[in-house]
Amino acid sequence: MKNPRKIFSQIYDRYIDKIYRFIFFKVNSQPIAEDLTSETFLKTWETFKNGNKIENPQAFLYKTARNLVIDFYREKGKVQIVSDENPFIPDPSQNLEEKAILRSDLDQIRQALTNLKDDYQNVIIWHYLDDLPISEISHMLDRTEEATRVLLHRALNALKNEVEEG
Amino acid sequence: MMTENELIGKIRKLRQIKPKKDWVLLTKSQILGEETPQFELFPFFKPVYAGLLFLLLLVGLVELSQGALPGNPLYSLKRITEKVQTVFVSQEERPNLNLELANKRIEELNQIAQQNEVKKLAPAIKEVQASVSEVAKNLVTLKKVDKETVEKTKELEKNIEIGEKTLATQISSEETKESFNSFYKNQAEYLISDLEKRTLTEDQMKILEEAKKDFEAGNYSDALEKIFILSQPQ
Repeated sequence: MKNPRKIFSQIYDRYIDKIYRFIFFKVNSQPIAEDLTSETFLKTWETFKNGNKIENPQAFLYKTARNLVIDFYREKGKVQIVSDENPFIPDPSQNLEEKAILRSDLDQIRQALTNLKDDYQNVIIWHYLDDLPISEISHMLDRTEEATRVLLHRALNALKNEVEEG
Repeated sequence: MMTENELIGKIRKLRQIKPKKDWVLLTKSQILGEETPQFELFPFFKPVYAGLLFLLLLVGLVELSQGALPGNPLYSLKRITEKVQTVFVSQEERPNLNLELANKRIEELNQIAQQNEVKKLAPAIKEVQASVSEVAKNLVTLKKVDKETVEKTKELEKNIEIGEKTLATQISSEETKESFNSFYKNQAEYLISDLEKRTLTEDQMKILEEAKKDFEAGNYSDALEKIFILSQPQ
């Protein structure tokens, strides 16, 4: 058998960006996204390490991430967190001019996406950012493909409204 | 108004959002912990070494089997290696090798007789009989005259005699004995006619005469012995 550490290392490299981004849109904060992302991978590694077979690592990671985000908001509901952080910190290596242009364009769509309800966010991220096929998304959401297509269509309309309003 | 494609294009730009690289690396090492070198108890138990290990085992077994006697599980391996040996030997050398092997069989039989292993006697005698009759068959068809072959045949005959005495059983059949005899006869006949064409000293002539007498009396192997004295460099 291949070394599980090696296998997990490959999974980590492949999905770390996607999972981070997915969480980031939901929590709207870099440090919180980092915390929840590392927790997602830690939990997955612990499951994996103990010899449990993970058929679909991507689906497993997203499921874990979603649960952690839900837990996070549940906790937050109890304890009010006062946050003054700037939620969006793009790649620090970029120069200021690039950053400014990127910011205006990206910020707008990001904000709109963050404002969408959870289901809408998920389908848009999975289909347009992660390029997942409808069949896989429907599987992850436990819906029919037709229902997923309808959801994606509604999500896109909702996002369009958000952007145009914002 | 923004078209759907424009919107999708904008969404795709969000791919630029990525976690910081140093955080990615740090988190990975924190989750996976320090890479501990795996302690390998048997570094040689890898598929790469399987062939080598098998070969070593086989060589060891073959070595071990060389002392095996009939009735021993390793004995068949010994016979197989001998058979392989005969394949790689030229047609001319084969009678000598077969003689050697037949002598080995008799030695085995004598060893078993000494150890008093009654159960193993029957298979050992069978082995001897098979190899001796094989030798006899080869000797009859042998065209070449070879002193070594004659000597080995004599040694074999002597060993058979010893074996027959200790076991009080007949080991070689009458047929085999006849084969040996006709082999000696052929060899002696050829050598005598060859020597008659040569110029010989007086002493040599005497020995040749004696050899001829032996030959006429049917003592072919004695005749041969004398002839071999003659052919030795003076």
